[in-house]
Amino acid sequence: MNLLEINHMKKSFGDLEVIKDFSLSVKEGEVVSIIGPSGSGKSTILRCATLLETMDDGELLYMGQNAAKSVNGKSVYASKTELKKIRRFFGLVFQNFNLFPHYNVLKNIMDAPVTVDKVPKEEAKERALKLLEQLGLSEKGKAYPYQLSGGQQQRVSIARALALQPKILFFDEPTSALDPELTGEVLKVIKELAKEKMTMIIVTHEMQFAKELSDRIIFMENGVVVQEGTPDEIFHSENERIREFIGKIESVY
Amino acid sequence: MKKLLAVLLCSVMMTAMLTGCGGDDGSSKGAVSVPSTSEEDRTTFTVGFDAEFPPYGYMDDNGEYVGFDLSLAQEVCDRNGWELVKQPINWDTKDMELSSGSIDCIWNGFTINGREDAYTWSVPYVDNSQVFVVATDAGIASQADLAGKVVAVQADSSALAALNEEENATLTNSFASLNQFADYNTAFMDLEAGAVDAVAMDIGVANYQMAEREAGKFVILDEYLSTEQYGVGFLLGNEALRDQVQNTLFEMLEDGTFAAIAEEWGLSDVVCLSKDAE
Amino acid sequence: MDLITMLKQLGAGMIVTGEIFFLTLLFSLPLGLIIAFGRMAKNGFVRTVSKIYISIMRGTPLMLQLIVVYFAPYYVFGIRLGAGYRMVALILGFVLNYAAYFAEIYRAGIQAIPVGQHEAAQVLGFSKAQTFFKIILPQVIKRILPPVTNEVITLVKDTSLAFVLTVAEMFTIAKQIASAQTTVMPLMVAGVFYYVFNLLVAFVMDLIEKKLGYYR
Repeated sequence: MNLLEINHMKKSFGDLEVIKDFSLSVKEGEVVSIIGPSGSGKSTILRCATLLETMDDGELLYMGQNAAKSVNGKSVYASKTELKKIRRFFGLVFQNFNLFPHYNVLKNIMDAPVTVDKVPKEEAKERALKLLEQLGLSEKGKAYPYQLSGGQQQRVSIARALALQPKILFFDEPTSALDPELTGEVLKVIKELAKEKMTMIIVTHEMQFAKELSDRIIFMENGVVVQEGTPDEIFHSENERIREFIGKIESVY
Repeated sequence: MKKLLAVLLCSVMMTAMLTGCGGDDGSSKGAVSVPSTSEEDRTTFTVGFDAEFPPYGYMDDNGEYVGFDLSLAQEVCDRNGWELVKQPINWDTKDMELSSGSIDCIWNGFTINGREDAYTWSVPYVDNSQVFVVATDAGIASQADLAGKVVAVQADSSALAALNEEENATLTNSFASLNQFADYNTAFMDLEAGAVDAVAMDIGVANYQMAEREAGKFVILDEYLSTEQYGVGFLLGNEALRDQVQNTLFEMLEDGTFAAIAEEWGLSDVVCLSKDAE
Repeated sequence: MDLITMLKQLGAGMIVTGEIFFLTLLFSLPLGLIIAFGRMAKNGFVRTVSKIYISIMRGTPLMLQLIVVYFAPYYVFGIRLGAGYRMVALILGFVLNYAAYFAEIYRAGIQAIPVGQHEAAQVLGFSKAQTFFKIILPQVIKRILPPVTNEVITLVKDTSLAFVLTVAEMFTIAKQIASAQTTVMPLMVAGVFYYVFNLLVAFVMDLIEKKLGYYR
């Protein structure tokens, strides 16, 4: 069974068609990267998949359960309670971390399990401490977000997403807001997650990273998939646009 | 949301109701008086007065509201078996207070002249004239000397009404300016400081104010602005209550109580209550 | 009259002033939040009504509003006023007025919270209410403390407007003593009282601000 299935997703903002017809299936343990120039619609796909935006048309399924069905050319979403259950399947790591500034690191990680999943406090704390250790932040539990570097904040936000034990984790340009010297520590964490067979979908500009890590790469432009394939296929693509894009990006980084 | 709003508003009402009207005169604390429809079952008598109007109504050293008018009202209540509620009012909203029923009458050195048709009046009990008070050393001896001077008068007062009468137009127009003030204390402070040259006011109040201050500093002009009479003002048409209060006043006049109270407040010279005036 | 007697009388008024102050805050702070929600509601009717309400409350003198609230039952509905309504009307008038100001402060505060905070909470599975009370409101409170402090200090001074309904709060009493005793002393004492009251308010608000200063 596919963990995630997106069929014929369409989304417009006003007259602007951001996603024209996008489909994707992800199996357990797969790492899929979505790359492409700005405005290609890749972040919108993530926002629709994580229910932050509603699609205009298309189907969205997690573990075979319908979050949205396509009825007469329109997406019809499941009930609130259904969606609440479905949200449990995924986590999202934001470009800007979006940590809660008034909570310390530990509370940032523990709060959702305790409030949403009704995990006992002690257990949630144990889980949080373990995650912090895993991410090399053991001594930062009592710190507040403003006291952390960007790289540390992003690692905390990964821990916060993992604390809910999602089946699939989305990353929305996880290193774009970071200074170049801080991207390494975040990428390292994501690589480790890949080693542990965490299912991940990553929107990124880090070509080298995508190449190393991904089972599959999707190249998007203007709301459509230009090419989908293994890193090898994409990086040796015959497509003029892809070659140009990869060349440009690699010369920058 | 609307429901929540309603609940909130209700709770505001409730809390304020429970805490009552804090610093009012003790007798009115927390009481919700139901206005009596017939005079026979009346239990309270609420007098509206300006608490900044000595000697007719003001706050004494003990924080009690006292004054000539309140003493008279107290005696009237005692004789009728009513409880007197002394309700200080804002002079600017006195008519709203009276018509909305939060007070039964205005008894407060209340000038009849010019308001004859606006209230149901008792017979006059004080003959009060409007006068000018000036500083003794200001060199003002007559109304003619007030030309080009700054004159102060209380907002919405009898003195102001008199100044605005047509027959006084020439006099009023001769002033440099006519300033309205909120209370007499401020006016006297202004007079003392030279910010105003004369204050137009009731003679009774003038005598009280001058007696309280340094002797010889102020003087009343011999020329009176007007001659006026005070009465008790009831809501237009409320003859029943007026008659009952007035008859009690006549009783008090006959047995000497009225004169005694007037003497107590140093107003023997100005009282004029007479059964003949009815 | 000696100073002690005067202070004793003014003291009774101070209690009423304090009562007006605390009751107004107690009810206007939550009511303001509800109006702020109305002002930001998706429903256009609710939004418009809230907007008009705020506009009237901010656009007309508080003194006039107090008079209207007190006399409206009689002039609009013909209900004779009982003695107990004076204080009720006063508090009601203050609450209705201050809630409008607080509503706009809340709205500014709520809208200043980055949308990412809502989205993070949503993805983590928080309900709308949990998101608001656990994540958004605490941050809003920190942000709006300075403008709220301004309003609270203004409220201390505005309590003196109670004189229009002759509720015997401190300033009303001070004026009455001043005119009976023909002295400015009580007014000076009143001035000192308001100043000290506001020093206290500023001190408490500062304390709260410091307490919330643990994060940025």
